[in-house]
Amino acid sequence: MWQRRAFLKAAGVGFAASLLPRQLLALETNELVFASSIQTSSGGYGAVLLGERGDLIAEIALPDRGHDITISREAGRGVVFARQPGTFAVVFDPQGQVPPVTLTSIEGRHFFGHGVFSPDGKLLYATESDFEEARGVIGIYDATDNYRRIGEFPTYGTGPHEMLLMPDGVTFVIANGGIETHPDYGRAELNLDTMDPSVVFVDRRDGKLVGQLRLEAGLHQLSIRHMAIDARSRVWFGCQYRGTPTDSPQLVGYATMDGDIRLVELPTDTLRDLRNYVGSVATSLDGGMVAVSSPEGNLLVAIDTEGGKPVVVETLRSGCGLAADAAGFAATSGLGEMIGLGQNARDVQKFDFAFDNHMLRVGMG
Amino acid sequence: MRHLAFLLPLLVALPVAAQTPPTPTAIMTAAVNEFIRPGFAQLATDTETLVGAMAGLCATPSVATLDTAKTAFAGVAVSYGRIEFLRIGPLMQANRTDRLLFFPDRKGIALRQVQAILAGDDASNTDATTLAGKSVAVQGLTALEFVLYGTDAETLTTANGAFRCGYGSAIAQNMAAIARDMTAEWNADGGTADHLMHPKPEYADYRTETEALEQLVGLVAHGVEAVRDARLNPFIAKGDAPAKPKLAIFWRSNLTVSMLQANLSGLDDIMSRSAVARAVPEAHKDLYDAIQAEFAKGMEAGGLITKPIEAAVADPAEAQGFVAMVEATRTLQALIGDTLSSALGLSVGFSSMDGD
Repeated sequence: MWQRRAFLKAAGVGFAASLLPRQLLALETNELVFASSIQTSSGGYGAVLLGERGDLIAEIALPDRGHDITISREAGRGVVFARQPGTFAVVFDPQGQVPPVTLTSIEGRHFFGHGVFSPDGKLLYATESDFEEARGVIGIYDATDNYRRIGEFPTYGTGPHEMLLMPDGVTFVIANGGIETHPDYGRAELNLDTMDPSVVFVDRRDGKLVGQLRLEAGLHQLSIRHMAIDARSRVWFGCQYRGTPTDSPQLVGYATMDGDIRLVELPTDTLRDLRNYVGSVATSLDGGMVAVSSPEGNLLVAIDTEGGKPVVVETLRSGCGLAADAAGFAATSGLGEMIGLGQNARDVQKFDFAFDNHMLRVGMG
Repeated sequence: MRHLAFLLPLLVALPVAAQTPPTPTAIMTAAVNEFIRPGFAQLATDTETLVGAMAGLCATPSVATLDTAKTAFAGVAVSYGRIEFLRIGPLMQANRTDRLLFFPDRKGIALRQVQAILAGDDASNTDATTLAGKSVAVQGLTALEFVLYGTDAETLTTANGAFRCGYGSAIAQNMAAIARDMTAEWNADGGTADHLMHPKPEYADYRTETEALEQLVGLVAHGVEAVRDARLNPFIAKGDAPAKPKLAIFWRSNLTVSMLQANLSGLDDIMSRSAVARAVPEAHKDLYDAIQAEFAKGMEAGGLITKPIEAAVADPAEAQGFVAMVEATRTLQALIGDTLSSALGLSVGFSSMDGD
């Protein structure tokens, strides 16, 4: 069973100076490892690496609440991004050999909680907000030069949230949630009446717009926020609806690089229980299933990507984090639980911290 | 004397009886019937008063009728300030929050659009029905404040202000219509109120008592966060950054502090009336009082601010009042969003209800 490794935690932003041999082994043998931001029981914030059986491999403390994590085997580093509208990102060594480095957003920008590495691990990209102009940008950081910020691309929209790198290795897909925020006003949403969400494809080499896809105009308050890519390179997305609560529009769909965007028809009762809110999206190892979660509706749904129909529906209070595992998906909750979704579901595991919205499956061989 | 001595044990016993942990149904019923419904009814009443006051001003322009209209405006601002955190059901329909109060107006959209309306004579702007179809920024309190207090507002005391008054009157009628609709919806059978009080698995919004309680506690936790982040922090001085009083809500009408106080008093009221913080295990039995005390601290701090906003932020003693309000909201967010939420076994404000 899981045991807390108190020695791992340092004051402020810290990381294990070294890992126990068995834990190092977990990383080296490419055993399944999950990463997630957390809130500790005493109210502090951090991020953890967990083994497949829920054993704590490593933990870092964060100055404030983290959100998503990205890890590059090539760079040998992981990055935790501050939850929007945060101003920090912490670069850490999953092996615990090198102390973490904290990046601070430049003046006039803040992080949106998500980012990716380039395939060679030499560049880090982060979704950011140019808040004075209410436009999204991708900040570009040189991983070979102490993560110096070397430039930015536009996201061609407002309120970018998750970004992913397409399997071609050169195209970003970015979810422009469409919601304007400004750090002067905390997390207040400033443009709900004029939202304009979109999915955009952007060339990573020059920042040029490859394509921009919008849902029908009547759905302009459907904020597209989280994504995952399936076996056919379709980008599945989950939305959060900011319009009249009783509308209950469809919330899950997919977009393709050749210009198709559509919502799939989830059954009425499943849709109702998602509560106009999808918090996380993940695809299975074979890319044949996509799972979505709603911490508002306490619901997890796994959908067959070919038929677009739910194949597993599970409840998990405050459940949000999703990552593929051998049996289907692992899911985590704001109440500190981890469960399995799909065949051979894992035992429920309970931790003494709350999981943040996202979980990353790490293959650090 | 003999009678008083006889009564004493009863008086002592009362608080103990009052502290019996309330059931979820009792909590939600009190929240709805003792706070939410009366709060929306008050807004409907106050907007009707404003409609009357604007009609009086337009019929008989004078300093006195303008003052009456301003008083009625303040009444609506405060009654809305008490309930604006109830961002569920009726308030979330049809952009009502933005239509009633377009704030913050970071890019000055309302200001520009309202000035454009006042510079013209388009009759569709003096008709509440057509106004309801226009930009959300020109339909509510933000716009009416400029009409009553902005540049050239003094024309309202003469016949020259007829169009301006007609526009203000249409805004008042528009807000009254919205308030009337919301009151009816909160009182409707099978509406949001019923679902909060009597959740059922087949409902789309509240399936269980836990979900209803999470909604209540979440609304209050997010409400205090919004007072701090969207209302106080934008204008107070921070570190080397000077205060920006013109980012404060209702600085023109000098209702900034009244609005902040209304926000806190509404949040305080729903917590006391619902007694949700009494439904906790013995280890947290002091939570109800701790929350009440912190609200009181925040409102007392607000009470120390008596000068107009620009003078208040420049006066170290009064500026400290705003800082104390910020501190109170921070403590309250932790007490309600973290301590109370976890004491009740709820999941509020972490993975859920935060739009991430």
